[in-house]
Amino acid sequence: MRDHLELFLNGQSERIAGADAFRTVANWLREFRGATGTKTVCEEGDCGACTVLVGTPRAGSLDYKPINSCIQFLFQLDGTHLVTVEGLKLGDQLSAVQQSMVDHQGSQCGYCTPGFVVAMSALHESAPGITERAAREALTGNLCRCTGYEPIIKAALDMTRGHGKRIEELYPSRPIAAALGKGAGSVRVEAAGRTFFAPSTLDEALAFLAEQPGAVIVQGGTDFGVQCNKRGLRPDVMLTLSRVEGLDGISVENGTLVVGGRTTLGSLEAFTRGSVPSLHGILCLFGSPQIRNAGTLAGNIANASPIADTLPFLFVCGAELELASSRGHRVVGINSFYKGYKKLDLAPGEMITRVRIPLPGEEETVRLYKVSKRRDLDISTFTAAIRMTLDGRRMSGVSLAYGGVAPVVLRLPKTEALLEGREASEALFREAGEVARTEIAPISDVRGSKEFRTLLASNVLMKFFHEEIAGGPAARNTGAR
Amino acid sequence: MFVGKDVPHDSARGHVSGESLYVDDLPRLANELQVGFWWSPIAHGRIRALDLEVARRVPGVVALYTHADIEGGNLFGPIFQDEPLLAPGVVSYVGQPVVVIAAETREAIELARKAIVADIEALTPIFTIDEAIAAGSFIGTRRTIRRGDADAAIAAAPHVLEGVFRSGGQDQFYLESQAAIAMPDEHGAIAVHSSTQNPTEVQDVIADVLGVPLSQVIVVAKRMGGGFGGKECQATHPATIAALVAHKTRRPARIAYTKDEDMVVTGHRHPFQNRYRVGFDDSGRIVGMWVDFHSDGGAFADLSTAIMARAMCHAENAYYIHDIDINGTVCRTNSAPNTAMRGFGGPQGVATMECIVEEIATKLGRDPFEIRRLNCYGIDDRNTTPYGAVVENNTLPRIFDELAASSDYRRRREDVLRFNLESKTRLRGIALTPVKFGISFNTTFLNQANALVNIYRDGTVQVSTGATEMGQGVNTKIAQMVADELGVDLPSVRMMITSTEKNNNTSATAASTGSDINGGAAIDACRKLRARLADCAASLLSEGEEGLAPSVESIVFREGVVFDSRRPAKTMSFGELAHAAHRQRVSLGERGYYATPLIHWDIEKFAGRPFLYYTIGAAVSEVEIDRFTGMLRVLRSDLLMDIGRSINPGIDRGQITGAFVQGMGWCTTEELRYSDAGELLTHSPTTYKIPNIQDLPEVFNVAWIDNDTNTVNVKGSKAVGEPPLLLAISVWAAVKQALTSFAGRAVVLRLPATNEEIAMRLAAIESATKS
Repeated sequence: MRDHLELFLNGQSERIAGADAFRTVANWLREFRGATGTKTVCEEGDCGACTVLVGTPRAGSLDYKPINSCIQFLFQLDGTHLVTVEGLKLGDQLSAVQQSMVDHQGSQCGYCTPGFVVAMSALHESAPGITERAAREALTGNLCRCTGYEPIIKAALDMTRGHGKRIEELYPSRPIAAALGKGAGSVRVEAAGRTFFAPSTLDEALAFLAEQPGAVIVQGGTDFGVQCNKRGLRPDVMLTLSRVEGLDGISVENGTLVVGGRTTLGSLEAFTRGSVPSLHGILCLFGSPQIRNAGTLAGNIANASPIADTLPFLFVCGAELELASSRGHRVVGINSFYKGYKKLDLAPGEMITRVRIPLPGEEETVRLYKVSKRRDLDISTFTAAIRMTLDGRRMSGVSLAYGGVAPVVLRLPKTEALLEGREASEALFREAGEVARTEIAPISDVRGSKEFRTLLASNVLMKFFHEEIAGGPAARNTGAR
Repeated sequence: MFVGKDVPHDSARGHVSGESLYVDDLPRLANELQVGFWWSPIAHGRIRALDLEVARRVPGVVALYTHADIEGGNLFGPIFQDEPLLAPGVVSYVGQPVVVIAAETREAIELARKAIVADIEALTPIFTIDEAIAAGSFIGTRRTIRRGDADAAIAAAPHVLEGVFRSGGQDQFYLESQAAIAMPDEHGAIAVHSSTQNPTEVQDVIADVLGVPLSQVIVVAKRMGGGFGGKECQATHPATIAALVAHKTRRPARIAYTKDEDMVVTGHRHPFQNRYRVGFDDSGRIVGMWVDFHSDGGAFADLSTAIMARAMCHAENAYYIHDIDINGTVCRTNSAPNTAMRGFGGPQGVATMECIVEEIATKLGRDPFEIRRLNCYGIDDRNTTPYGAVVENNTLPRIFDELAASSDYRRRREDVLRFNLESKTRLRGIALTPVKFGISFNTTFLNQANALVNIYRDGTVQVSTGATEMGQGVNTKIAQMVADELGVDLPSVRMMITSTEKNNNTSATAASTGSDINGGAAIDACRKLRARLADCAASLLSEGEEGLAPSVESIVFREGVVFDSRRPAKTMSFGELAHAAHRQRVSLGERGYYATPLIHWDIEKFAGRPFLYYTIGAAVSEVEIDRFTGMLRVLRSDLLMDIGRSINPGIDRGQITGAFVQGMGWCTTEELRYSDAGELLTHSPTTYKIPNIQDLPEVFNVAWIDNDTNTVNVKGSKAVGEPPLLLAISVWAAVKQALTSFAGRAVVLRLPATNEEIAMRLAAIESATKS
């Protein structure tokens, strides 16, 4: 068992022992490596100024993804290659991304610029022909207050000068991956009364959880990091599953989408593109690329926010969660998983190992809605999933789930019953809206008033009626880009 | 020639490689202290007791200071000195600094903060403009701009309408939070690195608080990670707090706000509540207007009265209204002192006028564009503003007409109206709104600048001005001007860090004037230097030349080479000339000075010519609203501006797109929400939503006209920092039109038009229609 972290920073090997392992990546870079190009602004993953590239070994090479370094802890990056804005030049030569940002006046004050450059570098890695849409999507997680984004988009579409080297050419991945591979096995770092454990098998993980039932599983940590930075959360024992094989799968088995316990939302987004369009649509609006590259579906479920973007879909699909502990395995339906605000049917020492989502049939209509002050990179005010089979206007198999209107995501049994088996009409949906209002208990908060949420609870049904039934697809306003 | 070229920002390479340093990127100094403060947790109260003993014992805590520890003055402010650095007994807003904490680590500051125990007697707070009016709680006095007899004109008008327009605050949301590092120097002097737009004001307040002369304080501002007005006055607090610690402990002291802290403790754009009454005839011509503006100034004066003055000077926007009565009052409330933000009151005045124009059009059943065009300032007549200035070289009519044509406004408006009749799920709106933005500080004496230009013996040049670089590219533009004036290559000109020891008594880099006044001062210095160098070159180049008498007039400086135009084959490099001049004991350093000409302002009568010129523009925006969720998309925006002769088209375009999108945020998604106790709830990007890359209009056309008439300003240019922000009012006006077209009557709409505001208005229209 290794007692320290091993990673690479801009091609250089780093061995991190002791309390440093528990620092945020951004803090470590700025305070202990003098790498102040990485900026911390919001410390909650909502601005992207701290974006770094994390290269994870995959089949002998490194797969680079941008993440927010302000809400990641060093222990989460064990076994990876970290590339920061300082690591993109080749000698004195700027990279293609950097040169293009200079040439197109893509920076003004320059404070968000390193984050944009890094996020854009990930885009440059992934795609040869970049469209404006792809550029906008790749940069959704980065806020700029100066430029109005237009010059940045232009820069992203013209990455043709500079040294032009890809990360692989700057930092050949084989030797790095090989060096990181030598550190296989589990890792346990203890310092200043805090413990971090990265088991290499599920059994090891479950045994550890049995012995340390208060341990927090930090996988993507995209909410955990915020809680630590902003609300003083400071657990003594933490665990990540990054070294456990078999928990990062995604597959469709007999019409059921099976998602591993540490599968990221980013992988899920890529997988569902084309295959599960309704889910894919909402995943594209989930956080930002940086958040999706770190965050997991299981984490979104276990975090138990009533406005978690994936939950209404899982509710109307009747998703099942496979739970494991040292005592054995069990399966629980998502519709009975939440017992109250942030209260779960999850015993101490138990973890989610797999999410099974029976996918709706092709004849079914499933629509997911997210209402937020800003469409992208915003936490929802209200979410909804509406599922039904339409035979002409006759509705069957009606299933409705709302988020943001109660301490937990709700199904709406009375509204479902009202619609079930009936012919759809504007009057019926209006009535359904009235019934839906009686099934919810929204509150006023910073994201919206109780009155607004109540209005949305009925309006979303009218929206579904007009867009999916009365008007056909032409009437739909999905906010498509 | 470099003026007029799209050369990259002079820091761009550093920005993209992460090498540009901002205050908190500077390496830790030996023995450095970290500084923070404990702030008032309540909006209004009297401190009965403050127990600091437990906090003092927190390991790592070095010192705690309250107002009682301040040896100099504790009150400051750019106009009225009413703001305490540290609350002296009464606290006036949530976030007001009360106790300064100096510690070895930031962690120790946090622990000390939690350990401070205060007994504060709650006093009745004032949170809204209405509450302030009821309580008579104001800052300064009510001001008036009046021409003709508005009451009589309105009374005689065929149509009258009245109403109230409300706009919300806006956080500057610079990415780099406020930061400063103070270093004690010998004999009680102090040097401070500050992320400030206004080094001189920071210097002033530090000197006053420490009780030392101005000459003992040096304030240095290398660059900011954005300012937008938020660092014009309010960078002073952190810098002075750090200076206090450095002064008392004799140790370097660093302060860096977190984003949350920054948003809570600093002020924002002023919310306004504006009543209006307007009279107009059948054609839509406005014959009289009365407006009564009230702004929420927050707890202390800051720049509130100057901001109100600018709002009042923009109340009529692009329209000639002969009989007009403009009134403005600043309310004192228990929120953080509201302060400068890009536009500085202009947006609040202009949005009110555009709201009025929309409602006039609705009442007459006309296209609002016709009303705008009809009332537009004239070129030879109808061209005097309510405060008595003439709108010279007026390009408004031209911009109106060219933009209406290039954006296909009329056809698209027909399409929008048809769309709204057909769609059951979406609503569209389209609006064309103009801006006429006065350039110069309303406060006349601020319109001055100095510059220091040093030429070295190799011909390279250092330029220091009072301009602070916050991303707007002022240093790049000044370097371009200097390079052209001296006839040298751009890389030979280096813009130096801004410091009060090189440039004294400077004005804030604000009011869009940075390049105008500091560029003017740099040009002045360059011309003096060039005259001396030309003198030197005239003798050197004529030496040994048969039949050539030295002639200063025929010396040409071009692209790093100097020659006599009569014998152009004989040249010397600028470096050779500099070297030779030095040997001849010719001074190679010069200080330039600029004072904006022609302007004057009567602060009592609110009349005069406060602005040297106007930057003009207009925008057409088309929006689409989801009728069920209120969510908004901007389908297309077309911007057309008059920015004179652009010094740097790339930088100016970036100012236009950036300001427009920032203005869109103010008009749509940016909303400051407070608890009932006056605590800001939206203090980070999780809850405070500035525009994202996906919010950029789907089609975005930006252009400017060619206009060489602005000869009163440097290089015929016009300032561009603030004016395009106001073009985003077209987005808000388009939303208002969409709702109006749905309701079939004028609809009251608050600014920002958030999805909630829109959805609730739509619901109210629907229920009114039903009943």
